[in-house]
Amino acid sequence: MAILPEALAAALEVMLALLLLLMALACLVDRYLRRACRSFVCFAVLMALTWWQLRAPWLAAVEAVLGALLTGFSLFFALGFGAHHRLPRRDTLPGASPSGVRSWLLPLTWWFMAAAASLLLVDDVGTRLSEALAVLGPLALVGLAIIGLGLWGFVRHRHLLRRLLAFNVLGSGIFLVLAEVAGPRIEAQALILTGLIVALFGSLLGASLIRRLFILDGRLALGSGTGGKE
Amino acid sequence: MNALAVLGDEALHLTPSLWAVVWLIVWGPLLLGLVALYFPPHRMLTAAAAYLPVMAATGWLVATIAVSGPRHASLSLGELTLTWYLDGLAILLLLLTQTVLMASAVFAVGYCRTAELPSRPAAWLWPLLGGLSSGLTLIWIAADLLSLYVGLELMGLCAVALMLLPGEAEALAAGMRYLLYALVGSLAWLLGVSLLLGAWGRLDLAGLAAVAEPGAVTTLAVALLSAGLLLKASIFPLHAWLAPVHGAAWIPVSAVHAALVIKASFVILLKLWLLLAPGQMAAAWLLGGLGSLAVLWGGILAWRAQGLKELVAFSTVGQLGYLMLAFPLLIGTSEAVAALAWRGTWLHLAGHALAKAAMFMAVGSLVLSTGRSKLVELAGTSRRLPLPLLVFGLAAVTLMGLPPSAGFTAKWLLLQAAIRGEQWLWIGVLVLGTMLTAAYLFRMFRHSFDEQAPHLTYRRLPLGMDMMALLLALAALALGLVADWPLELLWPWGGRT
Repeated sequence: MAILPEALAAALEVMLALLLLLMALACLVDRYLRRACRSFVCFAVLMALTWWQLRAPWLAAVEAVLGALLTGFSLFFALGFGAHHRLPRRDTLPGASPSGVRSWLLPLTWWFMAAAASLLLVDDVGTRLSEALAVLGPLALVGLAIIGLGLWGFVRHRHLLRRLLAFNVLGSGIFLVLAEVAGPRIEAQALILTGLIVALFGSLLGASLIRRLFILDGRLALGSGTGGKE
Repeated sequence: MNALAVLGDEALHLTPSLWAVVWLIVWGPLLLGLVALYFPPHRMLTAAAAYLPVMAATGWLVATIAVSGPRHASLSLGELTLTWYLDGLAILLLLLTQTVLMASAVFAVGYCRTAELPSRPAAWLWPLLGGLSSGLTLIWIAADLLSLYVGLELMGLCAVALMLLPGEAEALAAGMRYLLYALVGSLAWLLGVSLLLGAWGRLDLAGLAAVAEPGAVTTLAVALLSAGLLLKASIFPLHAWLAPVHGAAWIPVSAVHAALVIKASFVILLKLWLLLAPGQMAAAWLLGGLGSLAVLWGGILAWRAQGLKELVAFSTVGQLGYLMLAFPLLIGTSEAVAALAWRGTWLHLAGHALAKAAMFMAVGSLVLSTGRSKLVELAGTSRRLPLPLLVFGLAAVTLMGLPPSAGFTAKWLLLQAAIRGEQWLWIGVLVLGTMLTAAYLFRMFRHSFDEQAPHLTYRRLPLGMDMMALLLALAALALGLVADWPLELLWPWGGRT
C-alpha cells in the first residue's frame, strides 16, 4: 500500500470504514435471513480488505478463510441451505421488549466503557473531544459504532441466527478497535487471530445447535413466546 | 516486588526434563482423549491405567517444584513470546485439576455403560474432556494475557460442547444460552485486554504489573475484563445460565464443570485484580457484596429446589460467593489479614472442587439407580443405596464447613481474616451462609430417610463409580486434616507488594 499517495490511502480507509458500517447495519436489521447472511459474508470480505489496508496480510488471509468462507458456510448450514428442513425465510419474531434493566443497562454501560476507554487512550489531559476523535481515526470510530450495533442486535433480536450474526459483528467491531488502539503490534495480531478462531468455532457450534433445535421442536428463539420456551 | 519477579531470573528456567513433564501434562490428556474417540474405554480400570502417566507426571512436577521453588518458562513463536510460570499455587491447582479429571473420567466410563448413552456422542466425551484439561492447565500456568485468552477459550468451547452431548432439546437450549453468554463474555475480556495492550504495550503479567499505573484506562479495562469473567464464572447476578445447563448435562460433565471450569474464571479474575487494581478498595467491596448476595440467594434457591441436580447446581452459585469474599479481604488490607484470606480462599476453592465433584457423582448415582430426579422421590433410598448417600453426606460436611474438612479450615481462616480486618459484614455472611447450606443439604436427608416408601426397583451400578465419588469426598475431608502442606506451598504468594 506504500505506493498509494497519502490522500488516496486515507480516502480508501474512510470508504472502507463507511462500507463496513453499512454492511453491518444491513446484516443486523434485515429480517430476511438469507440476505442478512449474505450481507455478513460481504462484511467479512470487507474486514479482510481492512486488514490488508492495515498491513496485516496474514490476518487478511485468515479473515477471508475463517471469517468469510467458513463462517459463511456455517451460517448457510444453519439456514438449512439445500437440506430438507429449512429455517423460515423471514424472522417474524417480535424483538425483545426494552423493559428489562439487565438487558439494556449492561450493554449500554459496556459500550460507554469501551468508547470512553478508547477515547482516553488517545486523549492526553486537556485535548478536546473533537481532537481525540480525529486522532482515533475512522476505523476505530466505525469499530465503536459496530460494537454498539452488535450489542443492540444481540439484545434486541430473539431469533438465534440473528443473535449469532450480532455476536460475529460485535466481535469484528472489537477487532477493529483492538487493531486501532494497539497499533501494528504482533501481540495485537495474535489476539485477533485467536479471536477469529474462537469466533469461527463459536459460530460452528451455534449453527449446528440452531439447526438441531429447529429440527427437534421447531424452536427459533430461547425466550418465551412463539417458537420458544424458557 | 512480588513472586512474579522470578520471571527475570535465568537460573529458574524450566529444565528440559521439567519442560517435557509440563508438555505431557498440557497435551497428554488431549492425546488420550483423541485415542479414546476411536477406542472408547469400556472398563474403568483401562481409563485409570491410561491416565496414570499424566497423574505420575503431575505428582513428579508437584514434588519437584515444592522442593526447588517456582520456575518459569518462555515460549517463542516468531516475535511473540508466551510466558508460563509455575509456582506453588499453579502446581496445587494442577494437582487438583488432574485428580478431579481422573476421577470424573473413570466415573464417566461406568456412567456411559450404565446409562446406556448413545455411543457416538459418548465417544466425543473423551477428546472434549482432554481439551478441557489442556485449557485448564494452560490457565493455571499462564503468565501472560494471550496464553490466558487461549486457555480460557479452549476450556470454554470444550465446556460448551460437553454440555451439548446429551442432544435433547432441553440440553441444546441450555447449551445455546451458555454458548451465547460465554462468547459475549470472552468478547468483553478481549476488549479489556486490548485496552491494556493499547495503554501499556505489553501482555505479560509481570511487565503489566511493573508498568501499569492506576488510572481511568486501567480501571475501565479491568472493569470490562471482570464483567466478562464474572459472566463466565456465573457470579451473582450473572448466574442464570448455570442451573439449566447442569440440569441437562451428563453427570461427569457437571462434576468437572462445577469443580473446575467456573473456578478458572475466578482464578484469572483474582490474579488480574491483585496485579492491576491493588488499591481499588471500593470495587473490591462491591465484588465482596456481590459474593455475599450470591451466598444468600444461591442458598435460598438451593433450599427451594425441587430437582436433585438443581439443588447441587444452585449450591455452586452460593459457594462461589464465598470465594468472592477474597477481594475485599485481600485488597487494601494489612499483611496479616491478607495472608489468612489468601490461604482460606484457595483452601475453600480446593475443598469445594473436590466436594462438589463428589456430590454431583453421588447425585448421579442416585438418579441413575432410582431413575428419578426429584428430591421427594428419593424416599426409601437410605436402605437401598447407602453408599451414594454416605458420599453425599461426606461432601456435605465439607460444604457446610464442619470439622475436620477443608471447608471448615477454609471458613475458619476467612472468619479470622474478617475479624482481624474488622470487616464485620462478612462474618454475618459466613454464618448465615453456613446455616443456609446446612438447611438445604439436610432436605436431602429428610427425603432419603423417609421409610414409608413404595418398593422401587433399583438399577445396580458398578462399585467403581461410587468408589470414585467416595475418594473425592474423602480427599475433601483429608485436605482439612493435612492443610498445612498445601498452605505452606502457597505462602510465597504472588501479586502483592
